[in-house]
Amino acid sequence: MKNWRAPSGPCSRNSSHPGDHFTAKMSTPGSELIVCPHCDLLHRSAVLGRHEIAVCIACGHTLARHQSFSVDQLLALTVAAGLCFLIGNAHPLMTIDLAGMHTEATALGTALLMLHGWAALPGVVLAVSMFLLPLLQIALLLWVLIFARMQRPAPGLRTALVVLHRSRSWSMTEVFFLGALVAIVKLSSWLHVVPGIGLWALLSLTILLTILSLVDASFWWSLVQAPA
Amino acid sequence: MVSRRVPDTQSTYCSRCDTRLHERVPGSAEKTLAWLIAAVILYIPSNVLPVMYVSGVGGGQESTILGGVLSFWRGGDWPIASVIFIASVVVPATKFLALGLILWTLHRRSDWARRQRTALYRLVEVIGYWSMLDVVVVALTSALLQFEGIGAAEPRLGIVFFCAVVVATMISALSLDPRLIWDIGRNSEH
Repeated sequence: MKNWRAPSGPCSRNSSHPGDHFTAKMSTPGSELIVCPHCDLLHRSAVLGRHEIAVCIACGHTLARHQSFSVDQLLALTVAAGLCFLIGNAHPLMTIDLAGMHTEATALGTALLMLHGWAALPGVVLAVSMFLLPLLQIALLLWVLIFARMQRPAPGLRTALVVLHRSRSWSMTEVFFLGALVAIVKLSSWLHVVPGIGLWALLSLTILLTILSLVDASFWWSLVQAPA
Repeated sequence: MVSRRVPDTQSTYCSRCDTRLHERVPGSAEKTLAWLIAAVILYIPSNVLPVMYVSGVGGGQESTILGGVLSFWRGGDWPIASVIFIASVVVPATKFLALGLILWTLHRRSDWARRQRTALYRLVEVIGYWSMLDVVVVALTSALLQFEGIGAAEPRLGIVFFCAVVVATMISALSLDPRLIWDIGRNSEH
């Protein structure tokens, strides 16, 4: 862990005096200013080594991570996440065969089933957080990274990055995976439940999306500032 | 990213992402409190009302969240009982207490344990959505158990309230601007 050097005292507070402002020098690396989003302390950036993270000296918030993936590697991870998403939704998470009858559960199917009747609210929340948002995130990452690979900013890049950032809190594939495990164990006490390929695809998707969510924000925004 | 403050303007937008900038999120503590109160109120019916109905050969049975935990515990399935108990009871209760504590200390303009309270805020953000676990379990069980006459499960009204509790606590936590915690001690330094 590397603490970010703070300039003399917390000077991030906006003063009421006109002209008493500060300027970020974005041109030279290592001298950029960054404000901690959790406590507003202004820091001067340090160059991070491998596996290093920068934490706020006041509140301990992670300000930056070392960015070790190249655009190609990130694109590969995103394509893999897309494939896992397709497999995870095309195949059931689990199946039950009982007395000649067969039932199965897929991620979207489960959410849509809830949409009928008064259980619509959980149905909508599940459909959005387990299906729509992961899909949106993968699509936006693909869009941003494909253009980054061509060395130019994607159309609508700013909007895409803001939406990616905002949607992250509501994307919950890991909760869906754990919930599926609990449901399997719960039902297997009196039924024979077979975990499907969809479950393993969901686990892979969760791991890939977690890795992609750890990519530092400054990397994404550096794509905006890259010359077209 | 740091932006230069432009004097004599009503609103400023970030030059990088075009988001409107505020010195502090407007009405942050009030919004957090409102959603927190809503969540606490909704938490009552979500625990009192049954969340699922399971019918078998010998008739049907409705179960509440705590009832489900207890039946797993008595049946010796204590790992599952613990997971559901943590996700459905411990996590929401922690969120209520943590957000309540942060709001109360903000109201009292206390500069006590600012770093720890900010860490508490981050904890609430991280654990927030794990409460959706029980909603997922009920949804999957209802989707799978559809054997008429042998075993069938249906969601019940309690799960709707519980889902609303989770969404309300998440909005409550996201509304809170943790920088408010740091405003109190630092203002006196200037």
